[in-house]
Amino acid sequence: MGSGEAYVAINGISLIIGEGQFVSIMGPSGSGKSTLMHILGALDTVTTGTYLLKGKNITSYTQDELAKIRNKDIGFVFQSFNLLPRTSVFKNVERPMIYAGIKPQERKERVMHALELVGIADKVNNLSNQLSGGQIQRVAIARALIMNPAIILADEPTGNLDSTTSHEIMTLLHDLHEKGSTVAVITHDEKIASFAHRKIQILDGKITKDEGTGF
Amino acid sequence: MDYKELFISAFQALRSNFMRTFLTMLGIIIGISSVILIFSIGQGAVAFVTNELSSFGTNFFQINPGSSALASLTGGAETITTQDVDAIRRNQSFTNIQEVGAFVTSTLTVSANEIDKTLLIYGMSPEISDMLKPNMVQGEFYSEESNLEAQRVVVIGAKAAETFFGKDANVIGEKIKIGNKTYRIVGVARSSSVLFGSFFDNAIFIPFNTARNEIPGGVHIREVDISVKNVNLINDTIAQVTAFLRDRHNLKEKDQNDFIVASATDAISTIQTITNMLTLVIVAISAISLVVGGVGVMNIMLVSVTERTKEIGLLKSIGALERDILLQFLIEAAVMSGLGGILGILVGIGGAFLVSILFGIPFIVNPVAILIAFGVSMMVGIIFGIYPARRAAKLSPIDALRYE
Repeated sequence: MGSGEAYVAINGISLIIGEGQFVSIMGPSGSGKSTLMHILGALDTVTTGTYLLKGKNITSYTQDELAKIRNKDIGFVFQSFNLLPRTSVFKNVERPMIYAGIKPQERKERVMHALELVGIADKVNNLSNQLSGGQIQRVAIARALIMNPAIILADEPTGNLDSTTSHEIMTLLHDLHEKGSTVAVITHDEKIASFAHRKIQILDGKITKDEGTGF
Repeated sequence: MDYKELFISAFQALRSNFMRTFLTMLGIIIGISSVILIFSIGQGAVAFVTNELSSFGTNFFQINPGSSALASLTGGAETITTQDVDAIRRNQSFTNIQEVGAFVTSTLTVSANEIDKTLLIYGMSPEISDMLKPNMVQGEFYSEESNLEAQRVVVIGAKAAETFFGKDANVIGEKIKIGNKTYRIVGVARSSSVLFGSFFDNAIFIPFNTARNEIPGGVHIREVDISVKNVNLINDTIAQVTAFLRDRHNLKEKDQNDFIVASATDAISTIQTITNMLTLVIVAISAISLVVGGVGVMNIMLVSVTERTKEIGLLKSIGALERDILLQFLIEAAVMSGLGGILGILVGIGGAFLVSILFGIPFIVNPVAILIAFGVSMMVGIIFGIYPARRAAKLSPIDALRYE
């Protein structure tokens, strides 16, 4: 956890997410789903137990080593504050590749490709504050894709959207899964969770339900 | 992370908060511009004074009564007498001496044309005019003969002449009263030096011997000026005259001189030293304002880090290393103070140029000073940026993402 003493947010969870799965992690607030997401997303480390990502044990990684993992293997989509303020769509999507040291020419090509994939290539030069909520999430998904991560972690990706736009975004995530991406959506919303092919329910730090194959 | 991108994003961040950035830079601008301005004025002043003093030539030295500069300035000391001056003049062994001049001073009421004025009176031997080389606006400087005969003639400073008789009036032959004695004006003089003009042009000059007879306190020499034929031997001549005067004043070997000897070159280098020192002191003081500017940078960077906590969390979640975040904020601080430095240099140079025009001193801009000023402004940004940048870099990604 961030500060102070560690307290038990999740306990005894044993979870394997396979490559190419589309998983939803559902639970009410305080259930520990955020903590689970932080660990899956290499934002935090477990106090006991182990976390293997692509078969690598990253349990005792340092902050900078975790940052590199997040850069290459995790694609985040948050509920809000997904984009750098007053920064163009292009610059936002490009940023992870800058941290990875990818050359400008390749960055440009990959940004355009990702934006086409999420259907927002025409907004490439818009500033982040000139976009609608749905467009912002599309840009965030493009950024999450850009490094070909092991998993896309979407934390309440539709929390700020109306139902039509929510449906579009979930359809987009579903399409990405169809094309082979591993996607995990963290949500408290049953309807959103139902887009996934594997539904995990978590309550009081424990998995209470895990159904579906994920494919 | 490549530096070009870092600089671009630093500029973007600064531009998006334009007013705040500018106000923060103002601290640096003021600090740097005052350092540049003062340094430039100081150097201009040294050049000006050097020029001024050199305009009289460097082939003379002066002897003032008293054992300290203070005593000789206040005129309290009476250790040099007319007999001393005459003895130096008569001594055939001083082969390098060209001329020996002396003056006494007094402040008296001068009346002419029904106007009364309290003015500085110089009882001056005519040799001094050879050394000061005043411009004669009207008439001529009084002659050696007038001095020997202690005639009641005066040369009047150009401004004093204007005070009594009005602008451009022909005053040669006019009468002027000093104390209760009437004198005849034989010349109007204007100082060739801007620096000395202010008091020279307002003064009245009467022959040395006349002053001795008629001016209260006129027997006490304020200064003896001695010009030499060969300036390279001036130090030998100074030594000879010093020994001669010590002997005349019956000073024992352990006694200090009861007079002060300084050559024009000494005076120039003294003034240069003093002016340079003053410049450095003021530059050092104004450098303190740079520290204040730096604290301003640190303050605003801390605010910025707090405001952008979520952004930092986002950057960390997409793979920014601590170093990436550190560099981003450090570069922002350095760009801010560096830009402030450049603006400060421009303002400082502009100010120095204006001052040089207004006060007629040379316009001197030292490129080394500019480079140093720029370097210092960058350093200020980096030094004061480190703490906020480190704070940003050390933020935990989860806490940063959660920050509201």
